[in-house]
Amino acid sequence: MKQQNDDSSNLSNTVAIPTDIQFLRLLQIHDSAFPIGTYTQSYGMETYIQDDAIRTKEELIAFCTTFLYQNLVYGDAILIQEAHKAAKDRDIDRLLHLENLCGAIKLAKESRDASVNLGRQFIKTVSPLVEDAFFDEWKNRIAANEIKGHYAILYGIYCAVNNMDAHYAVLSYLFSSVNGLVTNAVRAVPFGQNTGVQAVHLLAEEAVAAAGLVAGLTEKDISNNALGIELASMKHEYLHSRLFIS
Amino acid sequence: MSKVARRHHNGKLDMVFEPRRGYTRMPHVFQQPPLKASRELYEGKDPTATVFVMESSGGMVAGDRNDITIRLLPGSKARIIQQSALKVYRSHTGETCVQSIDVQLEEESRLEWMPEVIIPFADSKFQMETTIRLAKGATLLWGEIIAPGREMRGEVFDFSSLKSMMKIYVEEELLAFDSLHFVPDNLHLNGLGLLEEALYVGSIWLVSEKADEIDLRAIHEAMNVGDGLRAGVTRLAGNAVHCRFLGVNQWRLQQELKRVFSELAALI
Repeated sequence: MKQQNDDSSNLSNTVAIPTDIQFLRLLQIHDSAFPIGTYTQSYGMETYIQDDAIRTKEELIAFCTTFLYQNLVYGDAILIQEAHKAAKDRDIDRLLHLENLCGAIKLAKESRDASVNLGRQFIKTVSPLVEDAFFDEWKNRIAANEIKGHYAILYGIYCAVNNMDAHYAVLSYLFSSVNGLVTNAVRAVPFGQNTGVQAVHLLAEEAVAAAGLVAGLTEKDISNNALGIELASMKHEYLHSRLFIS
Repeated sequence: MSKVARRHHNGKLDMVFEPRRGYTRMPHVFQQPPLKASRELYEGKDPTATVFVMESSGGMVAGDRNDITIRLLPGSKARIIQQSALKVYRSHTGETCVQSIDVQLEEESRLEWMPEVIIPFADSKFQMETTIRLAKGATLLWGEIIAPGREMRGEVFDFSSLKSMMKIYVEEELLAFDSLHFVPDNLHLNGLGLLEEALYVGSIWLVSEKADEIDLRAIHEAMNVGDGLRAGVTRLAGNAVHCRFLGVNQWRLQQELKRVFSELAALI
């Protein structure tokens, strides 16, 4: 078995490098083919596309960057980090609070529903793969309808019980979220494959910077300044024809 | 020689409403300048007490605080109207002005808080914390508008920071948490996905047991948008509805927000 690196004199002492198997597990759950339905969510982007506001690679990158820094960093990413810590501490009350908060900050109904749908698909898919009493307990609360089962909270718990470092949990989540958005934009706008590849290539650097920011944030920093995107999510419900469910 | 430090204002207003002989009265009110409440006013036989909240200092200055608590006892109905826009002046000392509003709505009570504009001047620092707790059967309709500054003087997003936190609890459960944190120096507020061309942000919050019956699509379709105004409406968890307005023009946003506010008020 690989050992966790607990050496406090190590240069990267604040972040535990994932083991080979942890790295591959993260790649797998963030793969676009992982069946949790990310390809069905646009988080308001479709409203922009129908308004003709995302026509160029630059506009696509601008949209994704705002979503990354103003929505994910100060929302889901903080919640993943906090849920990860709470799961490490086996602190159920704290997790229940975070679960509730995750729903409360998602004002647009479709974004809130997306978070629950992804969470439910995620737990269905990973539960046969995880053997952990604490994870099972959380799963049972969802099954019993005690909690909704928001994706960010579940994902934070999943990474914690599998001993994946919070930094990599956040980094891979941020990257896969913007990667998913770009993939969806390539289909919906449509863009050429190369445009998508180039956008993701640039956004990877932003995801690294964003994850660095998240490390210094806590629950009290939660905010959402991406009001344009939020409004687009609210309006998405009333679009006449839709490719995506949010 | 050190200058004598200016003493901060700490406005306080504690209001308690209760039904008495068919009308809602405000028998308990504590006021500390610069905050002040008018006496109750009534429209005909409507038992709803209308109270105006006044800020006699003309605006908040670095480090000033306003603390407002509003409690509606079971069955009471109140409408609170701010007499004028809330002005937040330049923070010459670097201190933040804080406005804290705590609202407690008990069973079957009803509160309407009419929107007035919050104007953060250039170099101002402002933080507002609004917490609303509703018991079963209570009804809330709350409006709010944030300006970018004194736009007519060309003051647009010149404030240092503005933080707004709105929390709504229904029967002890957090239903909605809206948190904005604008620091214009670090944030391109006109970026895609942020405010874009909009300068004014308006919000309406509704909680009512009748919320399920409201046809949100009809509300959405009746919204008079375009010409620099965007608006959306969504259903929150529980019996709640939220509307957001992003507008280029204050007058236009205010007119439409107030129209939707009245439309919703008539439905609940």
